[in-house]
Amino acid sequence: MGKTMIQKIIQRASGKEAQVGDRVWCNIDLSTARDFGGPNCVLQFDEVTDKAKVWDPDKIAFTFDLQAPAHAEKVANNQKIIRDFAKRQGISKVFDVNWGIGQHVLLEHGLVKPGDVILGTDSHMNLLGGVGAFASGVGNTDIVASWINGTLWFRVPETMKITTTGSFGKGVCMRDYLTFLVGKLGADGMFFKAVEFYGETIEKSSLADRITLCSMVTEMSGKVGLIMPNGEVLDWLVKRAGKEVLDRIEAMKADADAIYSDDLHFDVSNLEPMASCPDAPDNVKTVREAAGAHIDQVHIGSCSNGRFEDIAAAFEVLKAAGFQVSDSVRTIITPTTREVMKQCAEAGFIQKFLEAGVVFTNPTCSLCTAEHYGVLPGGDVGVSTTNRNFIGKVGKGSHTYLVSPMTAMASAVKGVLTDPRDILK
Amino acid sequence: MEQSVLRGKAWVFTDDVDTDLIYHNKYLAETDPKKMAQFSFEYYPGKEKFAKEAKPGDFVVAGRNFGCGSSREHAVYCLKELGIPVVLAESFARIYYRNAINNGYPVLFVNGLSEAIKEGKIQDGDELEVNIGTGEIKDVTNGNLFHGDAVTDLEKDIMASGGLIEYLKAQAAKK
Repeated sequence: MGKTMIQKIIQRASGKEAQVGDRVWCNIDLSTARDFGGPNCVLQFDEVTDKAKVWDPDKIAFTFDLQAPAHAEKVANNQKIIRDFAKRQGISKVFDVNWGIGQHVLLEHGLVKPGDVILGTDSHMNLLGGVGAFASGVGNTDIVASWINGTLWFRVPETMKITTTGSFGKGVCMRDYLTFLVGKLGADGMFFKAVEFYGETIEKSSLADRITLCSMVTEMSGKVGLIMPNGEVLDWLVKRAGKEVLDRIEAMKADADAIYSDDLHFDVSNLEPMASCPDAPDNVKTVREAAGAHIDQVHIGSCSNGRFEDIAAAFEVLKAAGFQVSDSVRTIITPTTREVMKQCAEAGFIQKFLEAGVVFTNPTCSLCTAEHYGVLPGGDVGVSTTNRNFIGKVGKGSHTYLVSPMTAMASAVKGVLTDPRDILK
Repeated sequence: MEQSVLRGKAWVFTDDVDTDLIYHNKYLAETDPKKMAQFSFEYYPGKEKFAKEAKPGDFVVAGRNFGCGSSREHAVYCLKELGIPVVLAESFARIYYRNAINNGYPVLFVNGLSEAIKEGKIQDGDELEVNIGTGEIKDVTNGNLFHGDAVTDLEKDIMASGGLIEYLKAQAAKK
Protein backbone atom coordinates (compact mmCIF):
# COMPACT_ATOMS: atom_id res chain seq x y z
CA MET A 1 0.00 0.00 0.00
CA GLY A 2 1.33 3.46 -0.91
CA LYS A 3 2.35 5.98 1.70
CA THR A 4 1.72 9.67 2.19
CA MET A 5 4.47 12.18 2.96
CA ILE A 6 3.92 12.15 6.70
CA GLN A 7 4.05 8.34 6.73
CA LYS A 8 7.38 8.42 4.89
CA ILE A 9 8.76 11.11 7.18
CA ILE A 10 7.75 9.18 10.30
CA GLN A 11 9.08 5.94 8.80
CA ARG A 12 12.48 7.54 8.23
CA ALA A 13 12.53 9.00 11.73
CA SER A 14 11.32 5.89 13.54
CA GLY A 15 12.62 3.00 11.47
CA LYS A 16 9.10 1.54 11.72
CA GLU A 17 6.39 0.85 9.18
CA ALA A 18 4.19 3.84 9.83
CA GLN A 19 0.55 2.86 9.48
CA VAL A 20 -2.16 5.37 10.29
CA GLY A 21 -3.04 5.22 14.00
CA ASP A 22 0.28 3.65 15.06
CA ARG A 23 2.13 5.25 17.96
CA VAL A 24 5.82 5.46 17.14
CA TRP A 25 8.95 6.99 18.61
CA CYS A 26 10.69 9.31 16.16
CA ASN A 27 14.31 10.39 16.23
CA ILE A 28 14.36 14.16 16.45
CA ASP A 29 16.48 16.15 13.99
CA LEU A 30 16.15 19.44 15.83
CA SER A 31 14.54 20.21 19.21
CA THR A 32 14.02 23.91 19.79
CA ALA A 33 12.56 26.21 22.42
CA ARG A 34 11.79 29.89 22.55
CA ASP A 35 12.06 32.62 25.14
CA PHE A 36 8.51 31.53 25.98
CA GLY A 37 8.37 27.88 27.05
CA GLY A 38 12.16 27.65 26.88
CA PRO A 39 12.80 28.67 30.50
CA ASN A 40 10.15 26.16 31.59
CA CYS A 41 11.96 23.46 29.60
CA VAL A 42 15.34 24.32 31.12
CA LEU A 43 14.05 24.37 34.70
CA GLN A 44 12.10 21.13 34.22
CA PHE A 45 15.05 19.40 32.50
CA ASP A 46 17.45 20.33 35.31
CA GLU A 47 14.92 19.19 37.92
CA VAL A 48 14.03 15.79 36.45
CA THR A 49 17.57 14.88 35.29
CA ASP A 50 19.47 16.47 38.19
CA LYS A 51 21.30 18.67 35.69
CA ALA A 52 22.40 15.91 33.35
CA LYS A 53 23.89 16.51 29.90
CA VAL A 54 21.43 16.83 27.01
CA TRP A 55 21.35 14.06 24.40
CA ASP A 56 23.01 16.10 21.65
CA PRO A 57 23.82 19.83 22.00
CA ASP A 58 24.17 20.15 18.22
CA LYS A 59 20.53 19.19 17.71
CA ILE A 60 19.12 21.75 20.10
CA ALA A 61 18.43 25.39 19.27
CA PHE A 62 17.00 28.36 21.14
CA THR A 63 15.20 31.29 19.56
CA PHE A 64 14.18 34.53 21.25
CA ASP A 65 11.14 35.95 19.57
CA LEU A 66 8.00 36.27 21.68
CA GLN A 67 9.18 39.14 23.83
CA ALA A 68 12.37 40.29 22.17
CA PRO A 69 14.07 42.38 23.38
CA ALA A 70 12.86 41.74 26.93
CA HIS A 71 10.35 44.31 28.16
CA ALA A 72 10.19 43.20 31.81
CA GLU A 73 12.55 41.89 34.47
CA LYS A 74 10.81 38.52 34.61
CA VAL A 75 11.26 38.06 30.86
CA ALA A 76 14.87 39.23 31.02
CA ASN A 77 15.56 36.68 33.76
CA ASN A 78 13.84 33.95 31.72
CA GLN A 79 16.03 34.75 28.75
CA LYS A 80 19.11 34.59 30.99
CA ILE A 81 18.04 31.11 32.18
CA ILE A 82 18.24 29.97 28.55
CA ARG A 83 21.56 31.66 27.79
CA ASP A 84 23.18 30.18 30.92
CA PHE A 85 21.86 26.69 30.14
CA ALA A 86 23.07 26.84 26.54
CA LYS A 87 26.54 27.86 27.70
CA ARG A 88 26.66 25.09 30.32
CA GLN A 89 25.43 22.46 27.84
CA GLY A 90 27.60 23.58 24.90
CA ILE A 91 24.58 24.49 22.78
CA SER A 92 25.80 26.93 20.15
CA LYS A 93 22.59 27.51 18.19
CA VAL A 94 21.25 30.40 20.25
CA PHE A 95 19.45 33.02 18.19
CA ASP A 96 19.14 35.92 20.59
CA VAL A 97 16.81 38.93 20.58
CA ASN A 98 18.36 40.40 17.44
CA TRP A 99 17.30 37.60 15.05
CA GLY A 100 13.52 37.42 14.76
CA ILE A 101 10.84 34.74 14.74
CA GLY A 102 12.29 31.31 15.46
CA GLN A 103 11.00 29.05 12.70
CA HIS A 104 11.92 31.62 10.06
CA VAL A 105 15.40 32.12 11.52
CA LEU A 106 16.01 28.35 11.55
CA LEU A 107 14.87 28.16 7.93
CA GLU A 108 17.08 31.04 6.84
CA HIS A 109 20.06 29.39 8.55
CA GLY A 110 19.66 26.17 6.57
CA LEU A 111 18.69 24.15 9.64
CA VAL A 112 15.51 22.76 8.06
CA LYS A 113 15.30 20.09 5.37
CA PRO A 114 12.34 18.23 3.84
CA GLY A 115 11.66 15.14 5.93
CA ASP A 116 13.19 16.51 9.12
CA VAL A 117 11.33 16.01 12.39
CA ILE A 118 11.55 19.26 14.34
CA LEU A 119 10.08 20.28 17.68
CA GLY A 120 9.46 23.69 19.19
CA THR A 121 7.49 25.44 21.92
CA ASP A 122 5.40 27.27 19.34
CA SER A 123 2.09 26.02 18.00
CA HIS A 124 3.06 27.39 14.58
CA MET A 125 6.28 25.36 14.31
CA ASN A 126 4.40 23.45 11.64
CA LEU A 127 4.79 26.32 9.18
CA LEU A 128 8.10 24.58 8.35
CA GLY A 129 5.88 22.09 6.53
CA GLY A 130 6.05 24.75 3.83
CA VAL A 131 9.40 23.18 2.88
CA GLY A 132 8.33 19.59 3.57
CA ALA A 133 9.54 19.25 7.18
CA PHE A 134 7.41 17.70 9.90
CA ALA A 135 7.69 20.35 12.55
CA SER A 136 5.48 20.13 15.57
CA GLY A 137 4.53 22.57 18.28
CA VAL A 138 4.70 20.89 21.69
CA GLY A 139 4.71 21.72 25.38
CA ASN A 140 7.77 21.82 27.62
CA THR A 141 7.47 18.20 28.79
CA ASP A 142 7.78 16.93 25.20
CA ILE A 143 10.86 19.11 24.67
CA VAL A 144 12.43 17.88 27.92
CA ALA A 145 11.78 14.26 26.94
CA SER A 146 13.48 14.85 23.60
CA TRP A 147 16.49 16.42 25.30
CA ILE A 148 16.87 13.26 27.42
CA ASN A 149 16.58 10.63 24.69
CA GLY A 150 16.49 12.40 21.35
CA THR A 151 13.15 10.79 20.57
CA LEU A 152 9.46 11.60 20.95
CA TRP A 153 6.18 9.76 20.47
CA PHE A 154 3.73 10.53 17.70
CA ARG A 155 0.50 9.08 16.41
CA VAL A 156 0.73 8.52 12.65
CA PRO A 157 -2.03 10.79 11.33
CA GLU A 158 -4.49 10.47 8.48
CA THR A 159 -3.61 12.71 5.54
CA MET A 160 -5.92 15.16 3.81
CA LYS A 161 -5.10 16.11 0.22
CA ILE A 162 -5.98 19.60 -1.00
CA THR A 163 -5.46 20.54 -4.65
CA THR A 164 -5.62 24.21 -5.56
CA THR A 165 -5.97 25.66 -9.05
CA GLY A 166 -6.29 29.13 -10.55
CA SER A 167 -4.53 32.46 -10.07
CA PHE A 168 -5.36 35.12 -7.50
CA GLY A 169 -7.07 38.25 -8.81
CA LYS A 170 -5.84 41.76 -8.01
CA GLY A 171 -5.87 42.49 -4.28
CA VAL A 172 -6.27 38.81 -3.40
CA CYS A 173 -3.52 36.52 -2.09
CA MET A 174 -2.70 33.26 -0.32
CA ARG A 175 -3.81 34.66 3.04
CA ASP A 176 -7.31 35.21 1.66
CA TYR A 177 -7.37 31.63 0.39
CA LEU A 178 -6.29 30.41 3.77
CA THR A 179 -8.94 32.47 5.54
CA PHE A 180 -11.48 31.02 3.12
CA LEU A 181 -10.30 27.51 4.05
CA VAL A 182 -10.60 28.19 7.79
CA GLY A 183 -14.16 29.39 7.23
CA LYS A 184 -15.00 26.46 5.00
CA LEU A 185 -13.46 23.67 7.09
CA GLY A 186 -13.87 25.18 10.57
CA ALA A 187 -11.71 25.42 13.68
CA ASP A 188 -11.33 21.64 13.85
CA GLY A 189 -11.66 20.92 10.13
CA MET A 190 -8.23 19.28 9.92
CA PHE A 191 -8.47 17.63 13.33
CA PHE A 192 -5.18 15.79 14.11
CA LYS A 193 -4.55 15.32 10.37
CA ALA A 194 -1.57 15.98 8.14
CA VAL A 195 -2.38 17.91 4.97
CA GLU A 196 -0.63 17.73 1.60
CA PHE A 197 -1.06 20.77 -0.64
CA TYR A 198 -0.87 20.31 -4.42
CA GLY A 199 -1.89 22.11 -7.59
CA GLU A 200 -0.67 24.89 -9.88
CA THR A 201 -1.50 27.66 -7.38
CA ILE A 202 0.82 26.07 -4.83
CA GLU A 203 3.54 25.09 -7.30
CA LYS A 204 4.02 28.67 -8.46
CA SER A 205 3.67 30.25 -5.02
CA SER A 206 6.48 31.93 -3.09
CA LEU A 207 8.07 30.57 0.08
CA ALA A 208 6.27 33.32 2.01
CA ASP A 209 2.91 32.15 0.67
CA ARG A 210 3.66 28.51 1.49
CA ILE A 211 4.55 29.52 5.02
CA THR A 212 1.31 31.49 5.38
CA LEU A 213 -0.71 28.51 4.21
CA CYS A 214 1.04 25.95 6.41
CA SER A 215 1.12 28.18 9.50
CA MET A 216 -2.65 28.39 9.60
CA VAL A 217 -3.15 24.60 9.55
CA THR A 218 -2.93 25.05 13.33
CA GLU A 219 -6.10 27.17 13.24
CA MET A 220 -7.94 24.16 11.80
CA SER A 221 -6.40 21.90 14.46
CA GLY A 222 -4.28 20.09 11.87
CA LYS A 223 -0.95 18.47 12.71
CA VAL A 224 1.11 19.75 9.79
CA GLY A 225 0.61 21.04 6.27
CA LEU A 226 3.22 19.75 3.82
CA ILE A 227 4.43 21.15 0.51
CA MET A 228 7.34 19.58 -1.35
CA PRO A 229 9.74 22.35 -2.43
CA ASN A 230 9.97 23.03 -6.19
CA GLY A 231 11.19 25.78 -8.51
CA GLU A 232 12.56 28.92 -6.89
CA VAL A 233 11.70 27.72 -3.39
CA LEU A 234 13.79 24.60 -3.99
CA ASP A 235 16.73 26.64 -5.30
CA TRP A 236 16.52 28.90 -2.24
CA LEU A 237 16.41 25.93 0.11
CA VAL A 238 19.33 24.06 -1.52
CA LYS A 239 21.41 27.22 -1.24
CA ARG A 240 20.67 27.38 2.49
CA ALA A 241 20.40 23.75 3.58
CA GLY A 242 22.60 21.98 1.03
CA LYS A 243 22.25 19.36 -1.67
CA GLU A 244 20.86 16.74 0.70
CA VAL A 245 17.56 18.53 0.20
CA LEU A 246 17.32 16.97 -3.27
CA ASP A 247 17.71 13.41 -1.98
CA ARG A 248 15.16 14.07 0.73
CA ILE A 249 12.58 15.26 -1.76
CA GLU A 250 12.93 12.02 -3.75
CA ALA A 251 12.68 9.91 -0.61
CA MET A 252 9.80 11.77 1.06
CA LYS A 253 7.36 12.42 -1.75
CA ALA A 254 4.03 10.66 -1.49
CA ASP A 255 3.40 7.47 -3.46
CA ALA A 256 0.97 7.64 -6.35
CA ASP A 257 -1.25 5.10 -4.59
CA ALA A 258 -1.07 6.72 -1.15
CA ILE A 259 -4.30 6.65 0.84
CA TYR A 260 -5.92 9.97 1.77
CA SER A 261 -8.75 10.55 4.22
CA ASP A 262 -10.06 13.48 2.20
CA ASP A 263 -9.43 14.73 -1.34
CA LEU A 264 -10.51 18.37 -1.74
CA HIS A 265 -10.25 20.70 -4.74
CA PHE A 266 -10.56 24.47 -4.76
CA ASP A 267 -10.12 27.09 -7.48
CA VAL A 268 -9.00 30.53 -6.33
CA SER A 269 -9.72 32.46 -9.56
CA ASN A 270 -12.88 34.12 -8.23
CA LEU A 271 -11.77 34.39 -4.60
CA GLU A 272 -12.28 37.75 -2.87
CA PRO A 273 -10.33 39.37 -0.01
CA MET A 274 -11.45 37.55 3.16
CA ALA A 275 -11.51 38.40 6.87
CA SER A 276 -11.71 36.35 10.06
CA CYS A 277 -14.09 38.56 12.02
CA PRO A 278 -14.21 38.91 15.80
CA ASP A 279 -13.88 36.75 17.84
CA ALA A 280 -12.76 33.51 16.12
CA PRO A 281 -10.57 32.57 13.15
CA ASP A 282 -13.43 30.60 11.60
CA ASN A 283 -15.90 33.51 11.76
CA VAL A 284 -15.17 34.29 8.11
CA LYS A 285 -16.74 36.90 5.79
CA THR A 286 -15.58 38.64 2.63
CA VAL A 287 -13.92 41.98 3.35
CA ARG A 288 -16.69 43.56 1.22
CA GLU A 289 -19.32 42.23 3.63
CA ALA A 290 -17.45 43.56 6.67
CA ALA A 291 -16.08 46.75 5.05
CA GLY A 292 -16.50 50.03 6.88
CA ALA A 293 -16.12 48.45 10.31
CA HIS A 294 -14.57 50.76 12.90
CA ILE A 295 -10.90 50.01 13.67
CA ASP A 296 -8.31 51.50 16.00
CA GLN A 297 -5.09 49.75 15.05
CA VAL A 298 -3.50 47.88 12.14
CA HIS A 299 -0.69 45.39 12.53
CA ILE A 300 1.24 43.67 9.75
CA GLY A 301 3.63 40.93 10.84
CA SER A 302 3.81 37.57 12.67
CA CYS A 303 5.09 34.13 11.71
CA SER A 304 2.14 33.85 9.31
CA ASN A 305 2.46 37.05 7.28
CA GLY A 306 5.55 39.15 8.02
CA ARG A 307 8.00 38.11 5.30
CA PHE A 308 9.39 40.46 2.66
CA GLU A 309 6.74 39.52 0.08
CA ASP A 310 3.99 40.26 2.62
CA ILE A 311 5.44 43.66 3.48
CA ALA A 312 6.05 44.39 -0.22
CA ALA A 313 2.37 43.66 -0.96
CA ALA A 314 1.36 46.11 1.78
CA PHE A 315 3.84 48.63 0.38
CA GLU A 316 2.16 48.48 -3.05
CA VAL A 317 -1.18 49.35 -1.47
CA LEU A 318 0.36 52.25 0.45
CA LYS A 319 2.04 53.47 -2.73
CA ALA A 320 -1.23 53.37 -4.69
CA ALA A 321 -2.79 55.46 -1.92
CA GLY A 322 -0.09 58.14 -2.04
CA PHE A 323 1.99 57.04 0.96
CA GLN A 324 -0.19 58.22 3.82
CA VAL A 325 -1.94 56.17 6.51
CA SER A 326 -4.97 57.48 8.37
CA ASP A 327 -4.39 59.53 11.52
CA SER A 328 -7.28 57.72 13.19
CA VAL A 329 -5.46 54.36 13.40
CA ARG A 330 -2.14 53.24 14.80
CA THR A 331 -0.28 51.30 12.11
CA ILE A 332 2.51 48.92 13.10
CA ILE A 333 4.67 46.79 10.81
CA THR A 334 6.88 44.06 12.23
CA PRO A 335 9.21 42.15 9.88
CA THR A 336 9.58 38.44 10.62
CA THR A 337 13.37 38.36 10.77
CA ARG A 338 16.43 40.57 10.61
CA GLU A 339 17.03 39.31 7.06
CA VAL A 340 13.53 40.48 6.09
CA MET A 341 14.11 43.83 7.79
CA LYS A 342 17.34 44.27 5.82
CA GLN A 343 15.49 43.47 2.58
CA CYS A 344 12.90 46.10 3.49
CA ALA A 345 15.66 48.64 4.13
CA GLU A 346 17.43 47.83 0.87
CA ALA A 347 14.18 48.15 -1.09
CA GLY A 348 13.64 51.63 0.38
CA PHE A 349 10.43 50.58 2.09
CA ILE A 350 11.30 51.61 5.61
CA GLN A 351 11.91 55.25 4.72
CA LYS A 352 8.53 55.43 2.97
CA PHE A 353 6.70 53.64 5.77
CA LEU A 354 8.13 56.03 8.34
CA GLU A 355 7.20 59.06 6.26
CA ALA A 356 3.67 57.68 5.93
CA GLY A 357 3.30 57.51 9.71
CA VAL A 358 3.88 53.79 10.25
CA VAL A 359 5.61 52.38 13.35
CA PHE A 360 8.21 50.02 11.85
CA THR A 361 9.58 47.71 14.55
CA ASN A 362 12.39 45.25 15.11
CA PRO A 363 11.73 41.62 14.09
CA THR A 364 9.70 39.83 16.78
CA CYS A 365 6.34 38.16 17.37
CA SER A 366 5.02 41.41 18.88
CA LEU A 367 1.23 41.38 18.63
CA CYS A 368 0.66 37.71 19.25
CA THR A 369 0.55 38.51 22.94
CA ALA A 370 -0.68 41.22 25.25
CA GLU A 371 2.78 41.34 26.79
CA HIS A 372 4.60 43.26 24.12
CA TYR A 373 4.06 46.53 22.29
CA GLY A 374 0.83 47.33 20.49
CA VAL A 375 -1.50 45.99 23.20
CA LEU A 376 -5.13 46.98 22.65
CA PRO A 377 -7.25 48.55 25.40
CA GLY A 378 -10.67 47.08 26.17
CA GLY A 379 -13.21 47.80 23.43
CA ASP A 380 -10.60 48.65 20.79
CA VAL A 381 -10.67 46.86 17.44
CA GLY A 382 -7.53 45.76 15.67
CA VAL A 383 -6.85 44.60 12.14
CA SER A 384 -3.99 42.14 12.00
CA THR A 385 -2.16 39.61 9.86
CA THR A 386 -1.51 37.39 12.88
CA ASN A 387 -3.22 34.02 13.22
CA ARG A 388 -5.69 34.09 16.11
CA ASN A 389 -8.39 36.54 17.15
CA PHE A 390 -10.13 35.08 20.17
CA ILE A 391 -11.54 37.81 22.37
CA GLY A 392 -8.95 39.64 24.43
CA LYS A 393 -5.94 37.93 22.87
CA VAL A 394 -3.97 41.17 22.65
CA GLY A 395 -5.72 43.00 25.48
CA LYS A 396 -8.73 42.18 27.66
CA GLY A 397 -12.01 43.05 25.95
CA SER A 398 -10.37 43.89 22.59
CA HIS A 399 -11.39 42.46 19.22
CA THR A 400 -9.43 41.67 16.07
CA TYR A 401 -10.06 41.14 12.36
CA LEU A 402 -7.52 38.79 10.74
CA VAL A 403 -6.78 39.73 7.14
CA SER A 404 -4.11 39.77 4.42
CA PRO A 405 -1.28 42.33 4.40
CA MET A 406 -3.02 44.11 1.50
CA THR A 407 -6.33 44.39 3.31
CA ALA A 408 -4.50 45.48 6.47
CA MET A 409 -2.73 48.32 4.64
CA ALA A 410 -5.88 49.37 2.76
CA SER A 411 -7.60 49.59 6.15
CA ALA A 412 -4.69 51.62 7.57
CA VAL A 413 -5.03 54.07 4.69
CA LYS A 414 -8.80 54.53 4.96
CA GLY A 415 -9.09 54.22 8.75
CA VAL A 416 -11.86 51.61 8.50
CA LEU A 417 -11.87 48.00 7.33
CA THR A 418 -11.30 48.31 3.59
CA ASP A 419 -11.15 46.01 0.56
CA PRO A 420 -7.73 46.61 -1.06
CA ARG A 421 -9.32 46.56 -4.51
CA ASP A 422 -10.81 49.96 -3.66
CA ILE A 423 -7.25 51.33 -3.70
CA LEU A 424 -5.47 49.06 -6.19
CA LYS A 425 -7.49 50.21 -9.17
CA MET B 1 -6.39 4.20 37.52
CA GLU B 2 -8.79 5.88 39.92
CA GLN B 3 -11.97 3.82 40.05
CA SER B 4 -13.94 5.67 42.71
CA VAL B 5 -16.76 8.06 41.87
CA LEU B 6 -15.81 11.73 42.11
CA ARG B 7 -18.42 14.32 42.89
CA GLY B 8 -18.22 18.01 42.10
CA LYS B 9 -19.73 20.98 40.35
CA ALA B 10 -19.71 21.50 36.57
CA TRP B 11 -18.10 24.55 34.98
CA VAL B 12 -19.38 24.53 31.41
CA PHE B 13 -17.54 25.93 28.39
CA THR B 14 -18.22 26.12 24.63
CA ASP B 15 -16.54 24.54 21.60
CA ASP B 16 -13.06 25.66 20.50
CA VAL B 17 -11.89 26.97 23.87
CA ASP B 18 -8.55 28.52 22.96
CA THR B 19 -5.52 28.35 25.27
CA ASP B 20 -5.57 32.15 25.67
CA LEU B 21 -9.00 31.78 27.25
CA ILE B 22 -7.77 28.99 29.55
CA TYR B 23 -4.47 30.64 30.47
CA HIS B 24 -3.82 34.02 28.89
CA ASN B 25 -0.58 34.91 27.10
CA LYS B 26 -0.21 37.79 29.56
CA TYR B 27 1.12 35.29 32.11
CA LEU B 28 3.39 33.22 29.86
CA ALA B 29 6.55 34.35 31.61
CA GLU B 30 5.49 32.38 34.70
CA THR B 31 7.69 29.31 35.15
CA ASP B 32 6.34 27.91 38.43
CA PRO B 33 3.33 25.61 37.76
CA LYS B 34 2.06 26.18 41.30
CA LYS B 35 1.56 29.87 40.59
CA MET B 36 -0.39 29.26 37.39
CA ALA B 37 -3.71 28.17 38.95
CA GLN B 38 -4.75 31.72 39.91
CA PHE B 39 -4.91 32.77 36.24
CA SER B 40 -7.21 29.97 35.00
CA PHE B 41 -9.94 31.22 32.62
CA GLU B 42 -9.31 34.85 33.61
CA TYR B 43 -9.93 35.96 30.00
CA TYR B 44 -12.96 33.72 29.36
CA PRO B 45 -16.00 36.06 29.24
CA GLY B 46 -18.31 35.19 32.13
CA LYS B 47 -15.80 32.87 33.82
CA GLU B 48 -13.35 35.48 35.07
CA LYS B 49 -13.82 34.38 38.68
CA PHE B 50 -13.28 30.68 37.94
CA ALA B 51 -9.89 30.52 39.68
CA LYS B 52 -11.30 32.03 42.87
CA GLU B 53 -14.61 30.20 42.95
CA ALA B 54 -13.88 26.74 41.57
CA LYS B 55 -13.31 24.20 44.33
CA PRO B 56 -10.88 21.30 44.18
CA GLY B 57 -12.95 18.43 42.79
CA ASP B 58 -15.03 20.57 40.43
CA PHE B 59 -15.10 19.61 36.75
CA VAL B 60 -14.31 21.50 33.56
CA VAL B 61 -16.88 20.52 30.92
CA ALA B 62 -16.46 21.61 27.29
CA GLY B 63 -17.45 20.93 23.70
CA ARG B 64 -15.23 20.15 20.75
CA ASN B 65 -11.56 21.03 20.27
CA PHE B 66 -10.82 22.03 23.88
CA GLY B 67 -7.44 23.72 24.24
CA CYS B 68 -6.93 24.76 20.63
CA GLY B 69 -4.28 27.37 19.98
CA SER B 70 -0.96 27.68 21.72
CA SER B 71 1.53 25.03 22.84
CA ARG B 72 1.64 26.40 26.39
CA GLU B 73 1.63 23.65 28.98
CA HIS B 74 0.53 26.34 31.47
CA ALA B 75 -3.04 25.61 30.26
CA VAL B 76 -2.79 22.09 31.71
CA TYR B 77 -0.79 23.00 34.83
CA CYS B 78 -3.25 25.70 35.90
CA LEU B 79 -6.26 23.33 36.02
CA LYS B 80 -4.24 20.52 37.56
CA GLU B 81 -2.87 22.79 40.28
CA LEU B 82 -6.35 24.13 40.98
CA GLY B 83 -7.47 20.59 41.78
CA ILE B 84 -9.74 20.02 38.77
CA PRO B 85 -9.54 16.20 38.69
CA VAL B 86 -10.43 15.70 35.03
CA VAL B 87 -11.46 17.68 31.95
CA LEU B 88 -14.55 16.37 30.17
CA ALA B 89 -14.82 17.40 26.52
CA GLU B 90 -16.15 16.07 23.25
CA SER B 91 -12.62 16.37 21.85
CA PHE B 92 -9.26 17.92 22.68
CA ALA B 93 -6.91 19.85 20.40
CA ARG B 94 -3.74 17.90 19.74
CA ILE B 95 -1.18 19.87 21.72
CA TYR B 96 -3.50 20.16 24.72
CA TYR B 97 -4.10 16.42 24.50
CA ARG B 98 -0.35 15.70 24.46
CA ASN B 99 0.33 18.09 27.31
CA ALA B 100 -2.39 16.49 29.45
CA ILE B 101 -1.15 12.94 28.81
CA ASN B 102 2.47 13.96 29.34
CA ASN B 103 1.50 15.24 32.80
CA GLY B 104 -0.62 12.25 33.71
CA TYR B 105 -3.62 14.58 33.78
CA PRO B 106 -6.88 12.75 33.01
CA VAL B 107 -9.10 13.77 30.11
CA LEU B 108 -12.28 12.03 29.00
CA PHE B 109 -13.66 12.17 25.45
CA VAL B 110 -17.41 12.52 25.85
CA ASN B 111 -19.39 11.79 22.70
CA GLY B 112 -22.26 14.24 22.14
CA LEU B 113 -21.13 16.67 24.83
CA SER B 114 -20.98 19.64 22.45
CA GLU B 115 -24.67 19.28 21.52
CA ALA B 116 -25.63 18.52 25.11
CA ILE B 117 -24.03 21.78 26.24
CA LYS B 118 -25.78 23.76 23.49
CA GLU B 119 -29.12 22.16 24.43
CA GLY B 120 -28.64 22.90 28.13
CA LYS B 121 -28.51 19.23 29.11
CA ILE B 122 -25.51 19.98 31.26
CA GLN B 123 -25.18 23.42 32.81
CA ASP B 124 -22.98 25.56 35.01
CA GLY B 125 -23.36 24.57 38.64
CA ASP B 126 -24.84 21.12 37.98
CA GLU B 127 -23.65 18.44 40.41
CA LEU B 128 -21.78 15.72 38.55
CA GLU B 129 -20.67 12.23 39.47
CA VAL B 130 -17.72 11.07 37.39
CA ASN B 131 -16.01 7.70 37.39
CA ILE B 132 -12.71 8.29 35.61
CA GLY B 133 -12.06 4.56 35.45
CA THR B 134 -15.31 3.49 33.77
CA GLY B 135 -16.08 6.79 32.07
CA GLU B 136 -19.58 6.97 33.57
CA ILE B 137 -20.77 10.52 34.04
CA LYS B 138 -24.03 11.43 35.75
CA ASP B 139 -25.49 14.91 35.96
CA VAL B 140 -27.11 14.51 39.37
CA THR B 141 -28.97 17.82 39.02
CA ASN B 142 -31.05 16.67 36.05
CA GLY B 143 -30.39 12.94 35.82
CA ASN B 144 -28.73 13.03 32.39
CA LEU B 145 -26.12 10.37 31.73
CA PHE B 146 -23.00 10.63 29.60
CA HIS B 147 -20.14 8.34 28.76
CA GLY B 148 -16.53 9.36 28.45
CA ASP B 149 -13.75 7.39 26.78
CA ALA B 150 -10.35 7.40 28.42
CA VAL B 151 -7.16 7.44 26.35
CA THR B 152 -5.84 4.23 24.79
CA ASP B 153 -2.62 2.75 23.37
CA LEU B 154 0.68 4.35 24.36
CA GLU B 155 -1.16 7.28 25.93
CA LYS B 156 -2.74 4.90 28.42
CA ASP B 157 0.69 3.57 29.42
CA ILE B 158 2.06 7.08 29.82
CA MET B 159 -0.96 8.00 31.98
CA ALA B 160 -0.45 4.88 34.09
CA SER B 161 3.16 5.93 34.76
CA GLY B 162 1.99 9.36 35.85
CA GLY B 163 3.37 11.24 32.87
CA LEU B 164 5.93 11.15 30.07
CA ILE B 165 9.07 11.76 32.12
CA GLU B 166 8.00 9.11 34.67
CA TYR B 167 7.24 6.74 31.78
CA LEU B 168 10.71 7.26 30.27
CA LYS B 169 12.35 6.68 33.66
CA ALA B 170 10.39 3.46 34.13
CA GLN B 171 11.35 2.27 30.63
CA ALA B 172 15.02 3.09 31.30
CA ALA B 173 14.92 1.16 34.59
CA LYS B 174 13.60 -1.92 32.77
CA LYS B 175 16.61 -2.03 30.44
